[in-house]
Amino acid sequence: MAEKESKKTRFKILLDLFFTFFKVGAFTIGGGLAMLPVIEREIVDKKGYINKEEIIDAFAISQSLPGVIAINSAIYVGYRIAGLMGALCTAFGVVLPSFITILAIALLFPTISGNVWVNKALTGVKAGVAGVIAVSVVNLAKKALKDAFGIIIALVAFILAVLFDVSIVYIVLAGAFLGYLYYGLRGAKHDTH
Amino acid sequence: MILISLFLVFFKIGLIGFGGGYAILTMLQKELLSLGWLTVEEFGNIAAISQMTPGPIAVNAATYVGYRVGGFWGSVMATFGVSLPSLILVVLVAHFVLKFKESRLVESCMKGIRPVTVAFIASAAIFFAYESFVDLALPLFINPGAFVIFVLSILAAVLLKMDTILIILLTAVLGMIIL
Repeated sequence: MAEKESKKTRFKILLDLFFTFFKVGAFTIGGGLAMLPVIEREIVDKKGYINKEEIIDAFAISQSLPGVIAINSAIYVGYRIAGLMGALCTAFGVVLPSFITILAIALLFPTISGNVWVNKALTGVKAGVAGVIAVSVVNLAKKALKDAFGIIIALVAFILAVLFDVSIVYIVLAGAFLGYLYYGLRGAKHDTH
Repeated sequence: MILISLFLVFFKIGLIGFGGGYAILTMLQKELLSLGWLTVEEFGNIAAISQMTPGPIAVNAATYVGYRVGGFWGSVMATFGVSLPSLILVVLVAHFVLKFKESRLVESCMKGIRPVTVAFIASAAIFFAYESFVDLALPLFINPGAFVIFVLSILAAVLLKMDTILIILLTAVLGMIIL
């Protein structure tokens, strides 16, 4: 009986994961980067599936790996909450709206191209997304930057990414290495005392 | 045959593409033009459509290119191809990271990566600001209307705690009205 019950709850969670990410995929204009604050809002603030620290880890893994950031985030969050089936549900959920929308557009408007209204809407969205992401950065920074070392890493990473256009891959690898040197080895030293 | 090529091309994009949809578009352009599947103008249209429709830009582009090149099944193969590397890599890494979360090595590396993540997301905000209202050259604010939308979206998020999806949809409407 209890097993049946837990199977039911699990199915409900999988269904909810699918629909949550379907909603994220269906209503977020501006691409995967714009989706990060939306995912944070839906999964952490509204549903409480995971906490802020964990969503930072999800974003960290998603950007450290190749591939579409929105799909990576969806898969990590899905896997963290409900294993492989969860990952499949979130991945399918976030991709399906794009697939349907784009197919409909390709079928209905074979010669579509940007018009002035669409461009205005798009510029508005980009400005809005800049604002939404900025708010998200402040929220995440409160959780992710816990000491001077973290703040320095963040500042240097920001400068390298924005001003010098250094690939995120190298910055992530450097961050991991410095994190190990600073926290890992220092921690090990403390342990021996 | 074209279906397999579509799958492989987009699998490759999914496997080596970094930095989000906008960066992937550049990569995709190089790849597709060299294959001769699309003209520069067609690609420009696809890039525009991928950005103005909801959803991840790279997925939108994959579906659209797939359809153009190989019909319905082409769009299935391209979309599947671009998603599959993520599924394999992220599940493997997530499995490893979640399993060894307590280990000193993984924990200390993640502590170093988290600030980078925040910086990267911040750089995304800068990117969108550049795309809409800021320029490094004077007069700095090239689009005051878009700057107003930027400020309004921050106020809506912080003061009104408005739903993020709603904010993004409203900024599209505002853009059409005031820009």
